[in-house]
Amino acid sequence: MEIDFSASNKNLWKEVYDNENLHHCYNCGTCITGCPASFGNPPLLVRNLARMVILGLEEELLDDPTPWSCVSCTRCEEMCPMDVKPFELILAIRKWQSLSDPTYIPTAIVEIYSRGYTQPVGTNTEMRESLGLHELPTISNQPEKLKLFREMLMKTPVMSENDYMFMGDE
Amino acid sequence: MDLCFFLGCNMPAIRPDVESAIRLTMPALGVNLVDLSGYVCCPAFGAFPSMDTESQFATSGWNLSLAEEQGHDIMVQCGSCYSSLHMGLEHLHEDEELRARVNDLLKPSGREVQCTTKVRHISDVLYNEVGPEKIAEKIKKKLNGVHGIVQYPCHTLFPSEVVGFEESPRKPVALRRLTEALGATVDAFSLEYQCCGGAGGFAKTSPAEADAFTKTKLDAIINETKAEFIVVSCITCLMYMDGIQEKLNKQAGKEIYNIPVFDYNQLLALCMGFDGHKVAAISKIPRDSILRRF
Repeated sequence: MEIDFSASNKNLWKEVYDNENLHHCYNCGTCITGCPASFGNPPLLVRNLARMVILGLEEELLDDPTPWSCVSCTRCEEMCPMDVKPFELILAIRKWQSLSDPTYIPTAIVEIYSRGYTQPVGTNTEMRESLGLHELPTISNQPEKLKLFREMLMKTPVMSENDYMFMGDE
Repeated sequence: MDLCFFLGCNMPAIRPDVESAIRLTMPALGVNLVDLSGYVCCPAFGAFPSMDTESQFATSGWNLSLAEEQGHDIMVQCGSCYSSLHMGLEHLHEDEELRARVNDLLKPSGREVQCTTKVRHISDVLYNEVGPEKIAEKIKKKLNGVHGIVQYPCHTLFPSEVVGFEESPRKPVALRRLTEALGATVDAFSLEYQCCGGAGGFAKTSPAEADAFTKTKLDAIINETKAEFIVVSCITCLMYMDGIQEKLNKQAGKEIYNIPVFDYNQLLALCMGFDGHKVAAISKIPRDSILRRF
Protein backbone atom coordinates (compact mmCIF):
# COMPACT_ATOMS: atom_id res chain seq x y z
CA MET A 1 0.00 0.00 0.00
CA GLU A 2 1.33 3.41 -0.93
CA ILE A 3 0.94 6.03 1.80
CA ASP A 4 0.59 9.73 1.07
CA PHE A 5 2.53 11.52 3.79
CA SER A 6 1.86 15.00 2.42
CA ALA A 7 -1.50 15.11 4.20
CA SER A 8 -0.18 13.73 7.48
CA ASN A 9 -0.71 15.55 10.78
CA LYS A 10 2.65 15.61 12.56
CA ASN A 11 1.04 16.56 15.87
CA LEU A 12 -1.50 13.78 15.82
CA TRP A 13 0.25 11.89 18.64
CA LYS A 14 -0.28 14.84 20.97
CA GLU A 15 -4.02 14.79 20.23
CA VAL A 16 -4.35 11.04 20.49
CA TYR A 17 -1.81 9.80 23.01
CA ASP A 18 0.44 12.34 24.63
CA ASN A 19 2.95 9.82 25.95
CA GLU A 20 6.60 10.30 24.95
CA ASN A 21 7.32 6.59 25.29
CA LEU A 22 5.28 6.12 22.12
CA HIS A 23 8.26 7.49 20.19
CA HIS A 24 10.49 4.76 21.63
CA CYS A 25 8.41 2.11 19.82
CA TYR A 26 10.77 0.33 17.41
CA ASN A 27 8.13 -1.84 15.78
CA CYS A 28 9.23 -5.10 17.42
CA GLY A 29 5.70 -6.54 17.32
CA THR A 30 5.77 -7.98 20.84
CA CYS A 31 2.35 -6.32 21.36
CA ILE A 32 0.96 -8.52 18.58
CA THR A 33 2.48 -11.79 19.79
CA GLY A 34 -0.08 -13.51 22.00
CA CYS A 35 -2.76 -10.88 21.33
CA PRO A 36 -6.08 -12.76 20.86
CA ALA A 37 -7.49 -10.03 18.59
CA SER A 38 -4.45 -10.30 16.31
CA PHE A 39 -6.25 -13.41 14.99
CA GLY A 40 -9.26 -11.26 14.09
CA ASN A 41 -10.58 -10.31 10.69
CA PRO A 42 -9.30 -7.68 10.18
CA PRO A 43 -6.52 -8.37 12.68
CA LEU A 44 -5.73 -5.97 15.51
CA LEU A 45 -2.08 -5.04 14.88
CA VAL A 46 -1.17 -2.71 17.73
CA ARG A 47 2.25 -1.95 16.31
CA ASN A 48 0.67 -0.63 13.11
CA LEU A 49 -1.68 1.58 15.11
CA ALA A 50 1.31 3.01 17.00
CA ARG A 51 2.98 3.75 13.66
CA MET A 52 -0.16 5.46 12.31
CA VAL A 53 -0.27 7.75 15.36
CA ILE A 54 3.45 8.56 15.17
CA LEU A 55 3.34 9.22 11.42
CA GLY A 56 0.19 11.34 11.75
CA LEU A 57 -1.99 9.29 9.39
CA GLU A 58 -5.19 10.90 10.62
CA GLU A 59 -7.68 9.70 8.01
CA GLU A 60 -6.45 6.10 8.11
CA LEU A 61 -6.63 6.09 11.89
CA LEU A 62 -10.14 7.54 11.97
CA ASP A 63 -11.38 4.81 9.60
CA ASP A 64 -9.66 1.93 11.41
CA PRO A 65 -12.12 -0.22 13.41
CA THR A 66 -9.52 -2.63 14.84
CA PRO A 67 -8.92 -0.87 18.19
CA TRP A 68 -12.48 -1.94 19.09
CA SER A 69 -11.67 -5.65 18.80
CA CYS A 70 -9.17 -5.53 21.70
CA VAL A 71 -10.07 -7.99 24.50
CA SER A 72 -8.45 -5.74 27.15
CA CYS A 73 -6.29 -8.58 28.49
CA THR A 74 -3.42 -6.05 28.75
CA ARG A 75 -0.81 -8.68 27.98
CA CYS A 76 0.76 -6.22 25.50
CA GLU A 77 1.34 -3.77 28.31
CA GLU A 78 3.19 -6.41 30.34
CA MET A 79 5.39 -7.46 27.42
CA CYS A 80 6.15 -4.13 25.67
CA PRO A 81 9.91 -3.56 26.15
CA MET A 82 9.63 0.23 25.69
CA ASP A 83 6.77 0.92 28.13
CA VAL A 84 4.51 2.31 25.40
CA LYS A 85 1.50 0.93 27.33
CA PRO A 86 -0.22 -0.36 24.19
CA PHE A 87 -3.56 -1.00 25.93
CA GLU A 88 -3.68 2.62 27.07
CA LEU A 89 -2.83 3.57 23.47
CA ILE A 90 -5.80 1.54 22.22
CA LEU A 91 -8.18 3.21 24.66
CA ALA A 92 -6.71 6.60 23.69
CA ILE A 93 -7.34 5.90 19.99
CA ARG A 94 -10.93 4.87 20.76
CA LYS A 95 -11.39 8.10 22.74
CA TRP A 96 -9.99 10.16 19.89
CA GLN A 97 -12.24 8.36 17.39
CA SER A 98 -15.31 8.93 19.62
CA LEU A 99 -14.44 12.61 19.91
CA SER A 100 -13.81 12.98 16.16
CA ASP A 101 -16.79 10.95 14.98
CA PRO A 102 -19.75 10.45 17.36
CA THR A 103 -20.83 7.28 15.54
CA TYR A 104 -17.93 5.63 17.40
CA ILE A 105 -19.44 6.47 20.81
CA PRO A 106 -20.21 3.12 22.48
CA THR A 107 -23.96 2.61 22.98
CA ALA A 108 -23.28 0.91 26.34
CA ILE A 109 -22.98 4.36 27.88
CA VAL A 110 -26.69 4.95 27.28
CA GLU A 111 -27.49 1.92 29.46
CA ILE A 112 -25.08 3.06 32.16
CA TYR A 113 -26.59 6.55 32.10
CA SER A 114 -30.12 5.20 32.32
CA ARG A 115 -29.68 2.53 35.05
CA GLY A 116 -26.07 2.69 36.27
CA TYR A 117 -25.00 -0.61 34.68
CA THR A 118 -24.66 -2.31 31.30
CA GLN A 119 -26.84 -5.18 32.60
CA PRO A 120 -30.22 -4.91 34.36
CA VAL A 121 -28.69 -5.47 37.82
CA GLY A 122 -31.16 -6.24 40.59
CA THR A 123 -34.23 -6.85 38.40
CA ASN A 124 -33.98 -10.67 38.52
CA THR A 125 -35.57 -10.71 41.99
CA GLU A 126 -37.29 -14.09 41.62
CA MET A 127 -34.11 -15.88 40.66
CA ARG A 128 -32.13 -14.08 43.33
CA GLU A 129 -34.69 -15.06 45.97
CA SER A 130 -34.57 -18.69 44.86
CA LEU A 131 -30.80 -18.61 45.43
CA GLY A 132 -31.24 -17.04 48.86
CA LEU A 133 -29.85 -13.66 47.79
CA HIS A 134 -31.01 -10.37 49.27
CA GLU A 135 -32.19 -7.31 47.38
CA LEU A 136 -29.27 -5.20 46.19
CA PRO A 137 -28.74 -1.56 47.10
CA THR A 138 -28.32 -0.70 43.41
CA ILE A 139 -28.26 2.85 42.16
CA SER A 140 -31.31 2.04 39.98
CA ASN A 141 -33.28 1.64 43.23
CA GLN A 142 -32.09 5.02 44.55
CA PRO A 143 -33.51 7.74 42.26
CA GLU A 144 -31.85 10.63 44.11
CA LYS A 145 -28.39 9.05 43.81
CA LEU A 146 -28.97 8.09 40.17
CA LYS A 147 -29.94 11.70 39.44
CA LEU A 148 -26.68 12.94 40.96
CA PHE A 149 -24.70 10.36 38.99
CA ARG A 150 -26.37 11.46 35.74
CA GLU A 151 -25.77 15.13 36.50
CA MET A 152 -22.10 14.36 37.11
CA LEU A 153 -21.81 12.57 33.77
CA MET A 154 -23.53 15.40 31.94
CA LYS A 155 -20.76 17.76 33.06
CA THR A 156 -18.16 15.72 31.17
CA PRO A 157 -17.34 16.84 27.61
CA VAL A 158 -18.41 14.02 25.26
CA MET A 159 -21.61 13.34 27.23
CA SER A 160 -22.70 16.98 27.20
CA GLU A 161 -21.87 17.42 23.51
CA ASN A 162 -23.96 14.39 22.60
CA ASP A 163 -26.81 14.81 25.08
CA TYR A 164 -29.35 13.93 22.37
CA MET A 165 -28.37 10.28 22.94
CA PHE A 166 -29.94 10.38 26.42
CA MET A 167 -33.15 12.29 25.78
CA GLY A 168 -35.37 9.29 26.52
CA ASP A 169 -33.98 8.98 30.03
CA GLU A 170 -34.85 12.33 31.51
CA MET B 1 -11.25 -8.90 57.68
CA ASP B 2 -13.95 -6.66 56.17
CA LEU B 3 -13.98 -5.97 52.43
CA CYS B 4 -16.37 -4.03 50.18
CA PHE B 5 -17.82 -6.51 47.68
CA PHE B 6 -17.87 -4.92 44.22
CA LEU B 7 -20.36 -7.06 42.29
CA GLY B 8 -20.07 -5.63 38.79
CA CYS B 9 -23.02 -6.30 36.51
CA ASN B 10 -22.78 -9.77 34.94
CA MET B 11 -22.56 -11.67 38.22
CA PRO B 12 -25.65 -10.29 39.97
CA ALA B 13 -27.68 -10.04 36.74
CA ILE B 14 -26.75 -13.21 34.82
CA ARG B 15 -24.87 -15.56 37.13
CA PRO B 16 -26.20 -14.81 40.64
CA ASP B 17 -25.33 -18.36 41.72
CA VAL B 18 -21.69 -17.21 41.74
CA GLU B 19 -22.67 -14.30 43.99
CA SER B 20 -24.42 -16.80 46.24
CA ALA B 21 -21.28 -19.00 46.39
CA ILE B 22 -19.12 -15.99 47.28
CA ARG B 23 -21.52 -14.71 49.93
CA LEU B 24 -21.61 -18.13 51.60
CA THR B 25 -17.93 -19.08 51.42
CA MET B 26 -16.05 -15.87 52.20
CA PRO B 27 -17.58 -15.12 55.64
CA ALA B 28 -17.03 -18.78 56.58
CA LEU B 29 -13.33 -18.15 55.89
CA GLY B 30 -13.24 -14.96 57.97
CA VAL B 31 -13.83 -12.43 55.17
CA ASN B 32 -16.89 -10.28 55.89
CA LEU B 33 -18.46 -8.72 52.83
CA VAL B 34 -19.86 -5.18 52.90
CA ASP B 35 -22.24 -4.09 50.10
CA LEU B 36 -21.44 -0.93 48.17
CA SER B 37 -24.74 0.90 48.14
CA GLY B 38 -25.20 2.97 44.98
CA TYR B 39 -22.23 1.52 43.11
CA VAL B 40 -22.24 1.89 39.31
CA CYS B 41 -20.56 0.26 36.28
CA CYS B 42 -16.81 -0.15 36.99
CA PRO B 43 -16.66 1.53 34.16
CA ALA B 44 -16.46 -1.25 31.55
CA PHE B 45 -13.55 -0.70 29.13
CA GLY B 46 -15.97 -0.70 26.19
CA ALA B 47 -17.97 2.19 27.69
CA PHE B 48 -16.55 5.46 29.14
CA PRO B 49 -12.88 4.35 28.93
CA SER B 50 -13.42 4.18 25.14
CA MET B 51 -15.09 7.60 25.05
CA ASP B 52 -13.39 10.22 27.17
CA THR B 53 -11.10 10.67 30.14
CA GLU B 54 -13.40 12.68 32.39
CA SER B 55 -16.41 10.37 32.32
CA GLN B 56 -14.10 7.36 32.74
CA PHE B 57 -12.32 8.57 35.85
CA ALA B 58 -15.35 10.34 37.34
CA THR B 59 -17.09 6.95 37.26
CA SER B 60 -14.04 5.17 38.77
CA GLY B 61 -13.92 7.94 41.39
CA TRP B 62 -17.60 7.46 42.21
CA ASN B 63 -17.05 3.77 42.98
CA LEU B 64 -13.74 4.22 44.82
CA SER B 65 -15.23 6.97 46.99
CA LEU B 66 -18.01 4.61 48.12
CA ALA B 67 -15.42 2.16 49.47
CA GLU B 68 -13.38 4.95 51.05
CA GLU B 69 -16.52 6.04 52.88
CA GLN B 70 -16.88 2.51 54.27
CA GLY B 71 -13.21 2.45 55.22
CA HIS B 72 -12.48 -0.96 53.65
CA ASP B 73 -10.62 -2.21 50.61
CA ILE B 74 -12.59 -3.45 47.60
CA MET B 75 -12.85 -7.13 46.63
CA VAL B 76 -13.78 -8.00 43.02
CA GLN B 77 -14.35 -11.27 41.17
CA CYS B 78 -14.91 -9.91 37.62
CA GLY B 79 -11.56 -9.48 35.84
CA SER B 80 -12.64 -6.44 33.85
CA CYS B 81 -14.02 -4.63 36.92
CA TYR B 82 -10.80 -5.45 38.77
CA SER B 83 -8.65 -4.05 35.97
CA SER B 84 -10.80 -0.97 35.35
CA LEU B 85 -10.96 -0.04 39.06
CA HIS B 86 -7.18 -0.46 39.23
CA MET B 87 -6.71 1.78 36.21
CA GLY B 88 -8.93 4.38 37.89
CA LEU B 89 -7.02 4.16 41.14
CA GLU B 90 -3.63 4.34 39.40
CA HIS B 91 -4.46 7.39 37.27
CA LEU B 92 -6.29 9.26 40.04
CA HIS B 93 -3.43 8.58 42.44
CA GLU B 94 -0.65 9.66 40.09
CA ASP B 95 -2.29 12.57 38.28
CA GLU B 96 -3.15 15.32 40.78
CA GLU B 97 -4.76 17.50 38.12
CA LEU B 98 -7.07 14.68 37.07
CA ARG B 99 -7.94 13.92 40.70
CA ALA B 100 -8.81 17.58 41.30
CA ARG B 101 -11.08 17.65 38.22
CA VAL B 102 -12.77 14.39 39.24
CA ASN B 103 -13.32 15.72 42.75
CA ASP B 104 -14.94 18.83 41.24
CA LEU B 105 -17.28 16.50 39.38
CA LEU B 106 -17.98 14.39 42.49
CA LYS B 107 -18.54 17.34 44.82
CA PRO B 108 -22.26 18.05 44.09
CA SER B 109 -22.94 14.42 45.10
CA GLY B 110 -21.12 14.95 48.39
CA ARG B 111 -18.36 12.59 47.32
CA GLU B 112 -14.58 12.81 47.25
CA VAL B 113 -11.89 10.38 46.13
CA GLN B 114 -8.59 10.29 48.02
CA CYS B 115 -7.22 7.01 46.64
CA THR B 116 -6.88 5.44 50.07
CA THR B 117 -8.60 2.17 49.23
CA LYS B 118 -6.97 -0.89 47.66
CA VAL B 119 -8.61 -3.00 44.97
CA ARG B 120 -8.16 -6.73 45.45
CA HIS B 121 -9.13 -9.71 43.36
CA ILE B 122 -10.98 -12.50 45.13
CA SER B 123 -8.32 -15.06 44.15
CA ASP B 124 -5.69 -12.78 45.73
CA VAL B 125 -7.73 -12.58 48.94
CA LEU B 126 -8.23 -16.35 48.95
CA TYR B 127 -4.58 -17.13 48.23
CA ASN B 128 -2.75 -14.44 50.17
CA GLU B 129 -5.13 -13.65 53.05
CA VAL B 130 -6.99 -16.90 53.71
CA GLY B 131 -4.43 -19.31 52.25
CA PRO B 132 -4.72 -22.81 50.75
CA GLU B 133 -3.93 -24.47 54.11
CA LYS B 134 -6.89 -22.88 55.87
CA ILE B 135 -9.15 -23.71 52.93
CA ALA B 136 -8.04 -27.35 53.04
CA GLU B 137 -8.89 -27.40 56.78
CA LYS B 138 -12.32 -25.80 56.33
CA ILE B 139 -13.72 -28.07 53.62
CA LYS B 140 -15.89 -31.11 54.39
CA LYS B 141 -15.65 -32.91 51.06
CA LYS B 142 -12.65 -33.25 48.77
CA LEU B 143 -12.25 -33.60 45.03
CA ASN B 144 -9.64 -36.33 45.44
CA GLY B 145 -8.81 -38.07 42.20
CA VAL B 146 -10.66 -35.51 40.07
CA HIS B 147 -8.63 -33.76 37.37
CA GLY B 148 -9.24 -30.19 36.28
CA ILE B 149 -7.57 -27.26 34.57
CA VAL B 150 -7.45 -23.61 35.58
CA GLN B 151 -8.26 -20.61 33.38
CA TYR B 152 -6.31 -17.64 34.70
CA PRO B 153 -8.04 -14.25 34.41
CA CYS B 154 -5.70 -12.07 32.28
CA HIS B 155 -6.89 -8.93 34.04
CA THR B 156 -5.38 -10.16 37.31
CA LEU B 157 -1.97 -10.78 35.71
CA PHE B 158 -1.22 -7.82 33.43
CA PRO B 159 0.21 -5.24 33.83
CA SER B 160 1.71 -6.94 36.88
CA GLU B 161 3.13 -3.79 38.43
CA VAL B 162 -0.38 -2.34 38.66
CA VAL B 163 -2.71 -5.32 39.13
CA GLY B 164 -0.38 -8.20 40.01
CA PHE B 165 -0.25 -10.32 43.15
CA GLU B 166 1.58 -13.38 41.76
CA GLU B 167 5.33 -13.86 42.10
CA SER B 168 5.49 -14.28 38.34
CA PRO B 169 2.74 -13.07 36.00
CA ARG B 170 4.23 -15.36 33.34
CA LYS B 171 3.73 -18.42 35.53
CA PRO B 172 0.85 -17.70 37.91
CA VAL B 173 0.09 -20.26 40.65
CA ALA B 174 -2.68 -18.86 42.91
CA LEU B 175 -5.69 -20.46 41.22
CA ARG B 176 -3.81 -23.76 40.77
CA ARG B 177 -2.82 -23.95 44.45
CA LEU B 178 -6.32 -22.96 45.56
CA THR B 179 -7.84 -25.71 43.40
CA GLU B 180 -5.31 -28.25 44.69
CA ALA B 181 -6.36 -27.28 48.23
CA LEU B 182 -9.76 -28.79 47.35
CA GLY B 183 -8.07 -32.12 46.69
CA ALA B 184 -8.27 -31.90 42.89
CA THR B 185 -5.39 -32.57 40.52
CA VAL B 186 -4.67 -29.62 38.24
CA ASP B 187 -3.27 -30.73 34.88
CA ALA B 188 -0.79 -28.59 32.95
CA PHE B 189 -1.16 -28.14 29.19
CA SER B 190 0.36 -26.16 26.36
CA LEU B 191 -2.22 -23.36 26.29
CA GLU B 192 -2.68 -23.10 30.06
CA TYR B 193 -1.98 -19.36 30.13
CA GLN B 194 -3.88 -18.41 26.98
CA CYS B 195 -6.68 -15.84 27.34
CA CYS B 196 -10.27 -17.19 27.13
CA GLY B 197 -10.89 -14.71 24.29
CA GLY B 198 -14.25 -13.61 25.69
CA ALA B 199 -13.76 -10.03 26.84
CA GLY B 200 -13.94 -6.89 24.74
CA GLY B 201 -14.83 -6.68 21.08
CA PHE B 202 -12.98 -9.66 19.51
CA ALA B 203 -15.84 -12.18 19.79
CA LYS B 204 -18.27 -9.61 18.37
CA THR B 205 -16.14 -8.18 15.55
CA SER B 206 -14.61 -11.51 14.44
CA PRO B 207 -16.95 -14.28 15.62
CA ALA B 208 -15.51 -17.05 13.40
CA GLU B 209 -11.89 -16.22 14.31
CA ALA B 210 -12.78 -15.86 17.99
CA ASP B 211 -14.51 -19.27 17.96
CA ALA B 212 -11.41 -20.83 16.37
CA PHE B 213 -9.16 -19.15 18.96
CA THR B 214 -10.98 -20.68 21.93
CA LYS B 215 -11.61 -23.99 20.11
CA THR B 216 -7.83 -24.41 19.92
CA LYS B 217 -7.65 -24.08 23.69
CA LEU B 218 -10.53 -26.50 24.31
CA ASP B 219 -8.94 -29.04 21.94
CA ALA B 220 -5.66 -28.74 23.84
CA ILE B 221 -7.52 -29.39 27.11
CA ILE B 222 -9.14 -32.51 25.66
CA ASN B 223 -6.02 -33.84 23.95
CA GLU B 224 -3.43 -33.05 26.59
CA THR B 225 -5.22 -33.38 29.94
CA LYS B 226 -7.65 -35.57 31.88
CA ALA B 227 -9.69 -32.51 32.87
CA GLU B 228 -13.23 -33.14 34.10
CA PHE B 229 -13.80 -29.48 34.92
CA ILE B 230 -12.51 -26.00 34.16
CA VAL B 231 -12.09 -23.61 37.08
CA VAL B 232 -12.05 -19.84 36.54
CA SER B 233 -12.14 -16.78 38.76
CA CYS B 234 -13.67 -14.16 36.47
CA ILE B 235 -17.29 -13.85 35.38
CA THR B 236 -16.34 -13.30 31.72
CA CYS B 237 -14.11 -16.39 31.62
CA LEU B 238 -16.96 -18.35 33.25
CA MET B 239 -19.71 -17.27 30.87
CA TYR B 240 -17.48 -17.47 27.81
CA MET B 241 -15.76 -20.84 28.40
CA ASP B 242 -19.19 -22.31 29.21
CA GLY B 243 -21.18 -20.71 26.41
CA ILE B 244 -18.68 -21.32 23.63
CA GLN B 245 -18.72 -25.07 24.19
CA GLU B 246 -22.47 -25.10 23.59
CA LYS B 247 -22.01 -22.88 20.53
CA LEU B 248 -19.29 -25.09 19.02
CA ASN B 249 -21.40 -28.20 19.64
CA LYS B 250 -24.35 -26.64 17.82
CA GLN B 251 -22.11 -25.66 14.91
CA ALA B 252 -20.74 -29.20 14.68
CA GLY B 253 -24.16 -30.79 15.12
CA LYS B 254 -22.76 -33.11 17.80
CA GLU B 255 -21.59 -32.97 21.38
CA ILE B 256 -17.81 -32.58 21.24
CA TYR B 257 -17.25 -30.24 24.18
CA ASN B 258 -18.83 -30.98 27.53
CA ILE B 259 -16.38 -29.85 30.21
CA PRO B 260 -18.30 -28.15 33.02
CA VAL B 261 -17.01 -24.71 34.02
CA PHE B 262 -17.02 -23.47 37.62
CA ASP B 263 -16.08 -20.26 39.29
CA TYR B 264 -13.56 -21.17 42.03
CA ASN B 265 -15.93 -20.11 44.82
CA GLN B 266 -18.60 -22.43 43.41
CA LEU B 267 -16.30 -25.45 43.75
CA LEU B 268 -15.19 -24.20 47.15
CA ALA B 269 -18.82 -23.82 48.26
CA LEU B 270 -19.62 -27.38 47.14
CA CYS B 271 -16.58 -28.69 49.04
CA MET B 272 -17.72 -26.73 52.11
CA GLY B 273 -21.05 -28.55 51.94
CA PHE B 274 -23.29 -25.81 50.54
CA ASP B 275 -26.27 -26.69 48.33
CA GLY B 276 -25.44 -27.05 44.62
CA HIS B 277 -28.90 -25.67 43.75
CA LYS B 278 -27.89 -22.41 45.42
CA VAL B 279 -24.21 -22.11 44.49
CA ALA B 280 -23.87 -23.81 41.08
CA ALA B 281 -27.35 -23.67 39.55
CA ILE B 282 -26.73 -21.85 36.27
CA SER B 283 -24.71 -23.19 33.32
CA LYS B 284 -24.93 -24.06 29.64
CA ILE B 285 -22.80 -27.22 29.87
CA PRO B 286 -24.32 -29.55 32.49
CA ARG B 287 -22.36 -29.88 35.72
CA ASP B 288 -23.90 -33.17 36.89
CA SER B 289 -20.68 -35.15 36.46
CA ILE B 290 -19.09 -33.02 39.20
CA LEU B 291 -22.21 -32.17 41.25
CA ARG B 292 -23.05 -35.83 41.79
CA ARG B 293 -19.81 -36.27 43.73
CA PHE B 294 -21.15 -34.04 46.50
